[in-house]
Amino acid sequence: MSAPAIRVEGFIKRYGKRVAADGLALTVQRGEIYGLVGADGAGKSSLMKAVAGVLAHDGGTVEIFGAVIDSERSAEQVKQRIGFLPQGLGLNLYPDLSIEENVDFFGRLRGVPSSELAARKDMLLGMTRLDAFRARPMRQLSGGMKQKLGLVCTLIHEPELVILDEPTTGVDPVSRRDFWAILGKLLEEKGITALVSTAYLDEADRFHRVSLFHEGKVMGEGTPAELIARVPGTLALFRAEPQADALPRLKAQFPQTEAMGAWLRVFAEGLDATQAQAAVDTCLTTSASASTAIQVTEWFAREPELEDVFVAMLRQRGARLDTSLPADAPTAAPTSTLAIEATGLTRVFGDFRAADAVNFAVPQGEIFGLLGANGAGKTTVIKMLTGILKPSSGSGRVAGADMRSAGLAIKERIGYMSQAFSLYHDLSVVENIRLYAGIYGLDDRRARQRGDWVIGMAGLAGFENDAAGRLPMGLRQRLALGCALVHEPRVLFLDEPTSGVDPIGRRMFWDILFHLSRREGVAILVTTHYMSEAEHCDHLALMFAGRVVADASPETMKQELIASAGQLLELRVDRPVPAQNALRDAGFANVALHGRAVHLLSHDADTDRERLPALLDKAGIAVQSVGLRPLSMEDVFVQRITALEDAGRRSP
Amino acid sequence: MKQMMNGGLLSVPGLRRLRVMTQKELLQLFRDLALMVFFLYSFTGDIYLAASGVSMQLKNAAIATLDADYSFASRELASRFQPPYFQPAGSVADARQAIRRLDDGDVMAVLDVPPRFQERLQRGEQVSVQLQVDTSNSVLGFLASSYGAQIVGKYALEAAAQREGLAASGGIAGPLVEADTRVWYNPNQNDAWFMGISELLTVVTLFSILLPAAAMVREKERGTIEQLMVTPLTSFQILFPKVVAMTLVILAGSAIALFGVLGPLFQLPMRGSLVTFFLITALYVFTTAGLGLLAATVARNLAQVGMLTVVILMPMLLLSGAWTPIEAMPPWMRGLAWISPLHYFLDAAYGILLKGVGLDLLWDSVLAMGGLGVVVFAAGMRRFGRQFG
Repeated sequence: MSAPAIRVEGFIKRYGKRVAADGLALTVQRGEIYGLVGADGAGKSSLMKAVAGVLAHDGGTVEIFGAVIDSERSAEQVKQRIGFLPQGLGLNLYPDLSIEENVDFFGRLRGVPSSELAARKDMLLGMTRLDAFRARPMRQLSGGMKQKLGLVCTLIHEPELVILDEPTTGVDPVSRRDFWAILGKLLEEKGITALVSTAYLDEADRFHRVSLFHEGKVMGEGTPAELIARVPGTLALFRAEPQADALPRLKAQFPQTEAMGAWLRVFAEGLDATQAQAAVDTCLTTSASASTAIQVTEWFAREPELEDVFVAMLRQRGARLDTSLPADAPTAAPTSTLAIEATGLTRVFGDFRAADAVNFAVPQGEIFGLLGANGAGKTTVIKMLTGILKPSSGSGRVAGADMRSAGLAIKERIGYMSQAFSLYHDLSVVENIRLYAGIYGLDDRRARQRGDWVIGMAGLAGFENDAAGRLPMGLRQRLALGCALVHEPRVLFLDEPTSGVDPIGRRMFWDILFHLSRREGVAILVTTHYMSEAEHCDHLALMFAGRVVADASPETMKQELIASAGQLLELRVDRPVPAQNALRDAGFANVALHGRAVHLLSHDADTDRERLPALLDKAGIAVQSVGLRPLSMEDVFVQRITALEDAGRRSP
Repeated sequence: MKQMMNGGLLSVPGLRRLRVMTQKELLQLFRDLALMVFFLYSFTGDIYLAASGVSMQLKNAAIATLDADYSFASRELASRFQPPYFQPAGSVADARQAIRRLDDGDVMAVLDVPPRFQERLQRGEQVSVQLQVDTSNSVLGFLASSYGAQIVGKYALEAAAQREGLAASGGIAGPLVEADTRVWYNPNQNDAWFMGISELLTVVTLFSILLPAAAMVREKERGTIEQLMVTPLTSFQILFPKVVAMTLVILAGSAIALFGVLGPLFQLPMRGSLVTFFLITALYVFTTAGLGLLAATVARNLAQVGMLTVVILMPMLLLSGAWTPIEAMPPWMRGLAWISPLHYFLDAAYGILLKGVGLDLLWDSVLAMGGLGVVVFAAGMRRFGRQFG
């Protein structure tokens, strides 16, 4: 009898000539956590703002609880039943007010009676573990805390529908997990509905149902499992040496092939595990000359992830993944020459240690990932290594020279690309390239050659005279990379280079980085907060509160986690929240809700697989399936940081 | 020439860097439509308005008469307040009405002629007339009262001569000193010239501060400045091209103002060497641009640049002598005026355009301006270096 929480049909939104949303349709049932998944500019925010009643749309219908939203007045009528958290960390909060004052303000704004306000405030602040910091001004909070406070302020009037626009973007993985746990619990207890957007495809399994957004259109709608089932195939992870030769060969047959550190990752569309292994073997061993046959050494096959399926869908619609990089360029000889060396690198701002005795080394030809949340010190380290910022103590050596005293000559061997893709938006593609060629002192002939190389590498042919600011994000990003590479640097620094870029763009970007490191021997230091991207790196350093807390290959880090905390089990159950509680009561420490499934870490996976269904059955919960899941870098990160935070709490 | 550009001097990496950076600044500026519209308006429309509209002369000041005598003499005196300085605005019946019209701003002055004016004049008695003047605008008020005094004085002299039986036009036989003025440089005392040049210099100053500061802070906002810092560019190679580009653009703007507005529409004479004028303008823009860059190291965004520009521009104008002669300022302000580059620029610009003097007389102004420029630019570079070093 009750109308769905949200029903959207034929939704159109234009900004000037640009179409942000082009005929979107979706239905959100009451009590669902519904996800909008897609890159920046895919149309998620426009839809959410229209649903929240803060943005007029140009076409289609939006219904909330059965009421059509077509005017200011109709929007006002449902606003009391809605909570909206706009995009951007704490942008809706008041920086100078304390946590408590912010909550009180939103409570009074929404007309919550003061007797109820106090009780709800206590409940919500307790749940979000913010109650210890009630008097702290909002601006002094970390990103994760700001976002939790934003959630509290959104929920203070007990809305029936919450609309959360990218609540986890830029938030560290630990806070992100907290955030999901709190949201799941609240929705379950209060029976409310949530519409949540995210740019992280690996977060999709947190939702009951999702819509995949791409360039203003919905590419698919359903449960994450249904969407994955839409493009059948096998995901294969294996090693094959030499990797740099195997990659182009595989790519010719399997367009969705990626290098992940020393591993290769192939999505074999339409093949089951056995067929996939056979096809990969044939592809690598069949060759013009027998001497170039490549052997697969280790092999794992599993179900593809949503991102693989998403990319496959985009490919079916004509998206192309190939770059014009020469596949037959010689492989750079492995070398042990150190390209980057940080020794006790420290930077103090007032009494805040942004970077605290950071040590690591990157040899020539390696892709080195610096991981960490916003504010962990990644950017500070990069700035010190590129000579923008002077270290308070310690030293950073790049290309054999100390950056503190490095002359200008050393800068000619370094390439740098910042989070902001530092291009001149009002200059055209060619003008940007020529500018950087000139800055690096290239003569006219070489500037032309390198300009052609950049345009080919970045797939910018046909866009030469477009203003850089009007390019789609993916192209803009590759242009920025091209400008950083115009002088053929030996060392490349990339500071969060993939923020806001869609999955296709990200894949092409990583292909280029792989090519640079393997074939041209460039050392690459990259920072990212996309944990899934960390797996592309040969080596990782994990930063927390200005310090490097782990330094190993992704593979080693995962092995260490299995040794210390166990393997990841996934249980599909009919009632996830009670299941989660029952498992916690049974003594499992790392239980997390993922949509309708529950994840946990188990020291003895084989025994637990046998005994968990019976254990949950006693609590009246039916287990549909139990399976092993591969650990992600996010699992590693969360475990490490939680351990450190616990240690920090024990010895303040 | 092309050969030289490509293969010669400018292919040395250092100069090539300066060249590409300057080109970049120019391109960016030309593509900023809003700024270009503002720029073109300032160098044409704004200067036209200043030259044609603003005047420091007394023109058509409305004057009412409170005539309590109703005689031939009183009408004669009142009728002497005529255009171009005054404009008769009828008569008022009593003192209260006179005050009300002054309060309303309806008239600027009221001439009050007492009863028995003609009679006493003919008897040879001393008689006063009163001129009430609205001096809210002190300059105009002063002009109105002094012109009024002159008119009355002249009438009195004639009346006295008539009484002595001398012909009004014949002059007075007695000893008399006559002041005979020669007006140099601006013989028609054409306000348009002074106001036009003054406005041009103000606009030049405004853009000399604003353009480099805006260009700099835009790089800060977009984060491109960090990109430049990791390239082998020196602070000088980053900052100097901005100044060069903006100087070129401002010189072009000044040429438009001189040859497109002040020359053809207001017949500004431009007596001296224009080459010298543009060279000195370039030096001045360089000096002032240093201030803009200094401001940009403080400002975080374009809005702050706007505010800082006003903060820098206003005292520069006040201290320059553009509005008040420096000699009329209190001593401590006079001291400050010596460090306002606009002060030297004004000297030089009026000197060249109106007086036709050359570098032989202006060398001290040029030297002072250049010195100031080097100091300010060096300070800007130092701050920039410390901020990003």
